[in-house]
Parts: sequence; C-alpha cells; structure tokens
Amino acid sequence: MIFQVARQLREAGVLGMNRRNADFIMPCNPRSLFPLVDDKVLTKKLASAHQIPTPLIYHIITSHGDIAALEGKLGSQNQFAVKPARGSGGSGIVLVMDRTAKAFITQSGEAISREDFTHHISDILSGIYSLGGLEDRAIVEALIHPDPVFAAVTYQGVPDVRVVVYQGIPVMSMVRLPTRASDGKANLHRGAIGAGIELKSGTTVTAVHRSQVVTHHPDTGKPVSGIQVPYWDSMLLMAARTWEMTGLGYIGVDLVIDRERGPLLLELNARPGLAIQMANREGLLKRLERIDGTPGTIFATPESRVAWAKEAFKKA
Amino acid sequence: MLFYRIVWLGYPLLPTAPGQVWQLLINAHVKDEEKEINLEIGLPSEHAGRMLVEERITSGNLNFALLRKGPDRIGVWAGRAGQEGEEVAYRTTIIIRPQRTPKAQPPILGKSLPPAEKDEQALAERLAERWNNLASKPRIRAVAATVWGEWGPNPPAEGDLKKWKHLQEKQGPLKSLLLLLRAAGLQAQVAEGLRLVEGIRTQPLIWIEVWNDKIWEILWPGTGEIDRNPASFLPLATGETPSLRISGGELLDIRWSLSRQILSKWNLHFERIRRSDRFLDHWSLFRLPAEFQGTFRILLLVPIGVLIISVLRNLVGFPTFGIFMPVLMALAFRNTGLAYGLGIFAGVLLVGYTVRRGLDKLHLLLVPRMSLIVTLVISCFTVLALIGSKLGLREFMAVGLLPFVILTMVIERFFVLVEEAGVREGIRTAVGSAAVSVISYQIISWEPLQLTLFIYPELLAPVAAIQILMGRYTGYRFSELFRFKTLRKAP
Repeated sequence: MIFQVARQLREAGVLGMNRRNADFIMPCNPRSLFPLVDDKVLTKKLASAHQIPTPLIYHIITSHGDIAALEGKLGSQNQFAVKPARGSGGSGIVLVMDRTAKAFITQSGEAISREDFTHHISDILSGIYSLGGLEDRAIVEALIHPDPVFAAVTYQGVPDVRVVVYQGIPVMSMVRLPTRASDGKANLHRGAIGAGIELKSGTTVTAVHRSQVVTHHPDTGKPVSGIQVPYWDSMLLMAARTWEMTGLGYIGVDLVIDRERGPLLLELNARPGLAIQMANREGLLKRLERIDGTPGTIFATPESRVAWAKEAFKKA
Repeated sequence: MLFYRIVWLGYPLLPTAPGQVWQLLINAHVKDEEKEINLEIGLPSEHAGRMLVEERITSGNLNFALLRKGPDRIGVWAGRAGQEGEEVAYRTTIIIRPQRTPKAQPPILGKSLPPAEKDEQALAERLAERWNNLASKPRIRAVAATVWGEWGPNPPAEGDLKKWKHLQEKQGPLKSLLLLLRAAGLQAQVAEGLRLVEGIRTQPLIWIEVWNDKIWEILWPGTGEIDRNPASFLPLATGETPSLRISGGELLDIRWSLSRQILSKWNLHFERIRRSDRFLDHWSLFRLPAEFQGTFRILLLVPIGVLIISVLRNLVGFPTFGIFMPVLMALAFRNTGLAYGLGIFAGVLLVGYTVRRGLDKLHLLLVPRMSLIVTLVISCFTVLALIGSKLGLREFMAVGLLPFVILTMVIERFFVLVEEAGVREGIRTAVGSAAVSVISYQIISWEPLQLTLFIYPELLAPVAAIQILMGRYTGYRFSELFRFKTLRKAP
C-alpha cells in the first residue's frame, strides 16, 4: 500500500522534500549565494540595481542604540512594517497601521505599547527570528496597500504571489491569501489559503487550505478561483529576472501588488516550500524535468523564458 | 578487518556473553581472645551453567586456604585475629548461563541418614510407605504437602500422626522433612546459599535439594513450596557442610552481598584481548583504561544515533527540535531510565515553558534570557536530584546527565513555536522529538550492539556508508505520502 501510494505520487510528478533538497536546491543554489536572499537588505539593494521595484525602505536599525532614533526618522509616516532582515516564514513581522501618543496600532487592531515595540525590535536585533540565530537588522519599510483585486478573498493582511522559478523560468505560481486563522499573514503553514495560478492566463484555479482543497475563502465566503491577477505578465517577468539578479537556480519569488506602485518584489526564498503543488493540484517534478530537457536558446532573455513557460505550462 | 578479527583472532561473532553476571561479596569481621581462630565459609563453585571469574580474597593477618569437599568449596581463614579483630572478604564475579543447565549428576549420597533415633526412623518409614508406588516427582509433591498437614486420601493413624507432630517439634521442620524424604526413598540434602537477587543478607538461606531423577528441585522446609528453577539460586554449601563455621574466636559481623553486574561482561573480552600479542588485539579499544572505555562505548553509539535520526527525519518525516537533541536525550535516558527520563523531559519543558511565558513580560534580551533559562533548568535538576536522594531514586539523581544546554534551547524553541504556529504544532514537534529519542534509546541501549561496535569499531565505516546513502535518498518521506495524498494520479 505504501509503495503503491509512492508510485502514484511519482507518476503524478510530485516533488518531495528530499528530492527538492538533493536534486534542485543543492546543485542549483550555491551556498555562497544564500546571503543574497536570506538577508532582505541585500535582496533589496540587488533588486534596485536590476530595476526591480521593492517596497520603500524608511529605516534600517542595526544596533540597539538606533531604536530610539526610529521615531524621528519616520517623520509623519504613521504606517509601516517592521521586519527582521534575515527572518523566515514571516516570523517577527509587525505591520503598524497607526501611531498614537502611547502605542502602535497593528493591522489586526491590537495596540502595542512603545515599550513592547522597542522590545520586539531588540528581539529582532538579537537574532531570535533570524536563520541560525545570528545577530540581525530590523527593516522598517513602507506598508503595502494591497490592490483591491483580492480584497474579497483576503482577511486582513496582504496577499502575496509566489512564483517558483527554476533556471530563470517560472514553473508554478500561486497567490497566498491571509485568513483569520493565519492572523493576517500570508504563510500557508499558519493557515493562509494558497490558490494556484494558471501560468498563461494569470487566473486563479484551485485552492488549498491546511491540505484541504477549498473553493471559497473560509472567512469572507467568496470563491477563490477564477480571479484574474493584474499585471500578470510583468510579474512573471520580474520573477524571471531574479535569475540574472541572484544566480540562484531554484527559488521562490514573493511578489505583492501595491495599489499605487503595482507589483513589488517582497522577498526571495532559496528553499521554497512544496505546498504550491497542492494549491495547483499538480506536481512540480514533471515541469522541472521538462525544463531540464529544453535547448539552451530559450534561456537567453527573461522575456524568452517567460514566453516559453507560458506556452509549456498552460492548462489544456 | 572484521573478517580477520573473527577468523584469525577468534573474536566472538555474537559478542555478548548471554546470561546474567553477578558480583558476590562476602565480608566478615572476626576477633579472638587467646586461641587461634578458624573461620570456614562456604564459597560458590563452578559448573557448566555457572562460571566464576576474578576471585579475590582479603585475609589480613590470617592465612587463607581453600578446601574442597565433594561439590563444595570452603574457604578457611585461620590464624590470630587479635582483640582488634580482622576483616576478611571474598569477592567474585559469577556468570550464570541458564540455557546451559548443569549436567546434573545423580547424587551419590551415603546412607548416612540424619542422626535419628531408631523409633523415629521407623515412624518415618511407616509414614512413607503410602508413597511407595508413586514416581519420584509426585512423591516429592506428596511429601512436601505434609508440611502443611496434607497426607493424601488415607491419612495415617491418629497415634502416628501425633508422634510425628511431636517429632517435628523436637527436630524442627528441616530435619523432620529431610528424614521423611529419605524414608520415602528420595535423594535429598540440605543446602545453604543465596537467591540470585540484588541485596545484602546477614545469613544464607537454607533449603532442601531433592533429586527428581532429572534435576535437583528446591524445597522450602518452612512452607513446603517447591522451586523448580535451581538456576536462580546460588548454593554455597551442601549436605553436612554448613556454609559458616567458626571456632576459637568470635564472629562480630558477616554479610553476603549480591549485585547484578553489567560491566563484567566486558571483562571477559577484556581479559582475553589484553593477554594477546596480535597486532589488532594491541590496537583494540579494550587496551584503553577502563574509565575511558566507558566513554568510547557511548561515543561509538552516537553515529548510530544520528543515523537513526536521519532515517526518522528524512525517510519517515518526524518533526524534531534540532538534529542532535533527540540523540543527546537518548544518551541521557541511559542513566535515568526511559519512563523517568521522559517524565523529567516533559516536566522540565513544562516548567520552562511556564516561566518563559512569565519572562516574556519582563522584556529580557536574548542572551540574558537564555542564561536565565539555563539557570532555571539547572535549578529544576537540583530540586529533582534532592527529591531523588530523599526518595532513594537513583533515576532522579542521574538527572544531571541530561543535556541541559539542549533542554534550554528546546524550551526557547518550543515557546517560539507555540507562539507562532500554535500549541498543536509545538506539541507535535515535542512529541516527535520525544518519540525519536525513545526509538534511538531503544536501539542504543541494545547491549549486543554496544559491544559489537566496541569490539569492531571499523563497523563505523558501514554506518557512514548508510549515512551517505541516506543523504542521497530522494524518494518521498513517509509523512509526505499523506501530505500529498490528494495529488496522486487515480490508478
């Protein structure tokens, strides 16, 4: 029975954790390049050098002494996000909607006292949220005002679009929709919904919520499929260009769509999760193997890669 | 190398000496007034199912001599002990192999029956007539039953029974039973010795051995109960020989201590290999001083432990806190025992989590906070050790061997996990870690494996090979079969 299930998964082209690590991440992502994506400050610098837009940085806090200076730097800006530069899985991120004399109001409406807020930043600096527990920096950046396209299927928070890119070619994509359970965060393991996006048209197809296939958002009750993602072609192109930008062969590109600025690169992930397969109800392995078997000419430019991917991976 | 050691150096293929190993220690304190003292103590003897290694005698000023009397061995300490007294001791390691039952010889007991009056003898023979047509086994049962007054279907005459009761009172249960057994034509003798359980006794047990045509059965004179497992007893003296006799002085104190030994199994190989001149015997880990051998026994198991963890994580998909935490916990369980170890783990984690929750309000920075949790963990250990010593629980006192740094990290990570991913995820990972520790503990504490690795450290090479294979295993994890179940192609 076990071997039968394993065989069926292999026939469906499902990529497992071990295979992902051994055959894709290790050969394609040289260790030396990991800091480029693990440290969001470096990612942002690199992105701006490649003309890929990212959320505006207000301030970077490097030492505990800098914390006091934060409020001055913010000026009249009352809305911002605080993130650990080397955080993973969305941990340590606080989204501030408003400032009052005593407290910061987070996106979920909770008030955080100044003292707690300072403590949180010093936690970030101590490296609690960082990969490997190294000392870290805290990024204070512009809050994203999400495009209303996903408003009906989002509970608070900011939905983001994840594109898995292999050798510069977009392979599979999904949009991650925050729910009440995920506390406004767009991470699937916290309970966000992942809705697969058809690569050619850019419309959402099936969705997964905690390994269950769903058709409607659990909080808003609206259908999650059939939504056309705006700026789809430019988003695919941004994702494809991260190959030239980082040199990493197998990455997850996280994009957000801001109401005013359009698609922005939020972060890159050198160990993208496997849940995207559930969101698309399709295995990654067949697509990855197909890329391995293609002639090198299509890899020449990001445009040619996107064009090839849209034809190769369109839903019949 | 392995092959060479087995074939040319005659290493055992299955290296554990099966059976039990016991350490016997007899301590006596004697003094005399004017005369020379003569102390005789029954010592254990060797036969096929029982092996004695490393006998050691302490005799102080006294002279020691070993006497053999039939199957028994008697240690004789003689000389002047003086007013102050003298400590004498006998120490040995006994290996019992229950599956190799001693080839029991039918006894050659002289007709010298216990001294009894003519009429007592006649009474016993008259009483024993009723069992004449029984086989020896049921006959033993029938005689034993008389101890609690059971005489079978046709009890003897009232007068005989009265006389017998009188005899029992006069001679005591031991002698009267022996008399009756012999009158019934059974081979029986008195034996003194110890039951093979851990403990200290100030006098040996006394029982009757009865031959049932195959083995010696053990009969308890007080209750008439029959023990058919002579391997669980250690006779020190049989027949007419008492296990303890002293003349010319005074015995102030004597103790027989038995303790179960595990280490001594190693000594067997140790002894052999130490005496050998062959090259690989020279370079064996047995050449290390004993205290370092213990360290290596554990060190050699760590690769196996981490191999198990990589199997459980990459093949099965258990969630664990870190890579090394489960194997270090498993090593600690060797000292605390599984149940206590897990209990302590859960307890410390719970206390740590509660305190960590409280600390969250104080807004301590990371490093001081972690150091505070280390302090807390060690305080927990101290309290547990103190409780352990009050209750006499060695398992609690061994708590100091738990990896406290790892426990601290586990508390912190558990807290962060619970905060971020919810209680369910936190408990899932904690239980996963505990399960992996238990599984690795079970494998690590398998003694044949320990000894195999210790004798053949080159086995680490195949272990490494399996680790490399695990590293290249790119198939699905067992847990992924469930995770991606919905994605499989309909057959």
